[in-house]
Amino acid sequence: MSRSEAVTRILFEAFPAAEVRLFYVLGLAACAAFAYGVYVQVRKYRRGAPAALAGGMWPRLGWMIARVLDHRTVERRDPAAGGAHRLIFYGFTLLFIGTATITLQYDILEPLFGVRFWYGRFYLVFSLVLDLAGVALIAGLLYMMVRRGWLKPPKLDYARPDRSPGDPDFDRPQYRREDWAFLWLLLIIGATGYVLEAARLVWLQGRADVWDTRWWSPVGALLAAALRGVGLGPAGGGALRHGLWWFHGLIALGFIALIPYTKVKHVFTAMGSLMVRDPLAAQRLAPIPESQAAPGVAAITDFTWKQLLNLDACTRCGRCHEACPARAVGAPLSPRDVILSLREFAHATLESGTLPAAAELNVHGKSPGQVAQETLWSCRTCMACVEICPVAVEHVPIIVQLRRKLVEDGAMDPLLAKTLATIHKTGNSFGESRRRRGAWTKALPFPVKDARREPVDVLWFVGDYASFDPRNQKVTQTFAALLAEAGVDFGILYDGESNAGNDVRRVGEEGLYEVLADANVAALGSATFNRVVTTDPHSYNTIRNEYPDFGGRYPIEHYTTLLERLFAAGRLKVTQPLRYRVTFHDPCHLGRFNQGYEAPRQLLALLGCELVEMGRCRSNSFCCGAGGGRIWIPDPAGGEKPAQNRIKEAAAIPGLQVYAVSCPKDLTMFEDALKTTGNEGKFVVREIIELVREALPLAAPAGAHA
Amino acid sequence: MKILVAVKQVAALEEDFEFRADGRDVDGDFLVMDLNEWDDYSLEEAVKIKEACGGAVEIVAVSVGPPTVDEALRKCLAKGADRAVRIWDEAMRGSDSIAVARILAAAARAEAPDLLFAGVQSSDQAVAATGIATAGFLGWPHAAVVSQFTYTPGAATAVLRRELEGGLLHELEIRTPAVLTIQLGINTPRYASLRSIKQAAAKPIELRTLADLSLNAAEVGEAGSSARVRRMYVPDKGRAELIEGSAAEQAKRLAAIIRESTGAA
Ligand code: SF4
Ligand code: SF4
Repeated sequence: MSRSEAVTRILFEAFPAAEVRLFYVLGLAACAAFAYGVYVQVRKYRRGAPAALAGGMWPRLGWMIARVLDHRTVERRDPAAGGAHRLIFYGFTLLFIGTATITLQYDILEPLFGVRFWYGRFYLVFSLVLDLAGVALIAGLLYMMVRRGWLKPPKLDYARPDRSPGDPDFDRPQYRREDWAFLWLLLIIGATGYVLEAARLVWLQGRADVWDTRWWSPVGALLAAALRGVGLGPAGGGALRHGLWWFHGLIALGFIALIPYTKVKHVFTAMGSLMVRDPLAAQRLAPIPESQAAPGVAAITDFTWKQLLNLDACTRCGRCHEACPARAVGAPLSPRDVILSLREFAHATLESGTLPAAAELNVHGKSPGQVAQETLWSCRTCMACVEICPVAVEHVPIIVQLRRKLVEDGAMDPLLAKTLATIHKTGNSFGESRRRRGAWTKALPFPVKDARREPVDVLWFVGDYASFDPRNQKVTQTFAALLAEAGVDFGILYDGESNAGNDVRRVGEEGLYEVLADANVAALGSATFNRVVTTDPHSYNTIRNEYPDFGGRYPIEHYTTLLERLFAAGRLKVTQPLRYRVTFHDPCHLGRFNQGYEAPRQLLALLGCELVEMGRCRSNSFCCGAGGGRIWIPDPAGGEKPAQNRIKEAAAIPGLQVYAVSCPKDLTMFEDALKTTGNEGKFVVREIIELVREALPLAAPAGAHA
Repeated sequence: MKILVAVKQVAALEEDFEFRADGRDVDGDFLVMDLNEWDDYSLEEAVKIKEACGGAVEIVAVSVGPPTVDEALRKCLAKGADRAVRIWDEAMRGSDSIAVARILAAAARAEAPDLLFAGVQSSDQAVAATGIATAGFLGWPHAAVVSQFTYTPGAATAVLRRELEGGLLHELEIRTPAVLTIQLGINTPRYASLRSIKQAAAKPIELRTLADLSLNAAEVGEAGSSARVRRMYVPDKGRAELIEGSAAEQAKRLAAIIRESTGAA
């Protein structure tokens, strides 16, 4: 054996053969426990309904690996925790790979093929890398301990808004215990690894191949120096090494065995979840499969395997809990807890050998693991949860699936039921006659084309709020005047237009949505146009992302993009710059849903406004509370409403003059919140359309402009 | 046990409307049709009885009208009716509430239910007679404006409360078979999802004619009605004037108006 070959990892040296055999037996037992646990989990997922995955397997795999490696999703809105997780992840992964390659050589390549690579320079570099990986791991773990023990961010509080103190699953102390056990276990594995290394060095200090290369393991070498400093000799070192070797080995094996049974499994489930992620999860909901007898989810087995996997991927990081507008105003909903509740339910019902009776699989209700009606109806389907989840849990489709069942049972607020019936009857949520949909055009000094009768360049899909709500009608008329001024050839569908159905679908009334989508696709099909524009982000979302499934494919844009282009082309010109201090509220369906962040901001800049962002802006915008059909459900009296919460945020901006919005429902919600929070008179809520109008010369006597 | 629920498809006016050429009704183009609101509650009451006893109850929704009425009957099927029966014959056109009651009574004799529910009134005509007149033809016990109802299928009697003027309640026990007209608010009608309405579209709607019910043309339609619509019209707007100014000025203007309207110029 050359000198270089002697420089290698000391494994079982000085172990009696029986001990080595025992270790192998234990190792195999740990692997068996791991394998069985994986089998149980996979069996659980397979008990779910089939899921269709969009996109190819390889791009999804690539995307997943990139996210795991760059940690981008873990870092968002919590760089410290993200950084610490990165240290733990890379530390752990390197150590794992190190250990795995030792096994590879020792147990497979060398005995079978005589291949050996763990020696010499390769070994030394590797031991340096692993030593540093251990430092990273421990540093990351220590930060996480400080975070849980002292910093205590509120999102890590497991108290549930949908349960009361005293309920068996109110704050789930077992989660806390598991979190700490996980941290300690990893920390102990890491720390004993170093002491073990140091003990080995002390023990073999007489061997030049070991001792002279010790600084390639700097932490181990330092510790060895310390041990020698307190009087440990080679014999003591040997004994310590023997004991620690077993201790370290056993907890490491125990850790492997426990992976599928504890939160450690997120290592795998998160990767799986990221891989099956649907980038349009909230934007484009799935239809009810033909094969499904009853709509929505009643039993846990009605969820798709992908959704069951989603449940297991949740790391309890609390980011969705923090972002949720319903939770923020004290509604009995936390997206995190919907996921965790269902996960506990799946754990209790789907992990045993035989499936429990159907009656025990019902996920609706108030018992532990079940989800209550009030919880489901509190959701605004604003997508804040889906957007921030680091492991691609898709809450919105899960919540809508559960709601579909409630709708089928009629378990909803009577006012919501009434509105849905009204939409079915009249095609709009205002209960107005279809004929009156275009009535707002009568106040204009020019006729608006009927796109069903004559071809137009731009088809304007107006939407319910913009058509019928008196306050919004003014904005609608102003927009028409702007289009006319810019010489845009546009038309509308008049009574051919129905409610676009975006919110109806998110309520969970899929049958009605189909009726609306079919009707609109037919009406659009009867018109000749080049592209669609709308002022309503809700209509925009469903036409853009969901109508294609109904055979309606149209180029569509939100009005902010169209106006921006008209300015760029010089067809509209600012003559009276506004110089207002404004803030802008990103509508969920324009921003988070469809990344329309820039156009409204550029418009505001064009108008000469000074934009001051609120803390929660762009992807972190805070829903006005109207989404998901909540505009048709009265908010409980007394409590804060999301729109009020938001207006208070804006009110903290010094010298704010205008709170700019670009969505009809936002205008309604925020003008109301401005009054109810007592901020009336301090600043105003304005549609960007109104601001644009203000900055243009009032050329034509725009009867529209109030 | 069987519950017969008599329902009506009612008309709601659109904002702008025109009258029919004969001036006796609004032009059908300007009407939005829907299930009568009261009937929603009486159907729900029947479905609740059925659900409470675990299902040994047959609910039959019945309506008098042309094929367009099928839509209202489908809604009943979607909300839990087991069968739907539409009674129609061209001779029935123009029936007033009493003639409709005669037809319903004939249908009730054929179906032999234990209970017959009807709404207190229809939202379009508001005569509030059909249900009770049906009881009259049948000679069955009846109660109007029922706001609470307790019945165990199979029992010989039911207990109910009815609303009286001044917030009083009238509690009574009634022998079955009986006819009850159901008041709004007795329950919360369920939502019929579009999916259930579509599924109901596949269920048959049974058709009954004059002959099926052993009626003759003289008993129904305008011939069998005691009232006939002469004309329907929008009354002239009344006048109102806000009198402003000092007390003396107001008194002066008031006096002038009185003089004008009494002709004592
Ligand atoms: S969609 Fe919005 S309201 Fe609903 S759970 Fe997610 S964050 Fe909360
Ligand atoms: S669902 Fe996602 S964001 Fe929410 S707690 Fe779980 S991992 Fe975090």
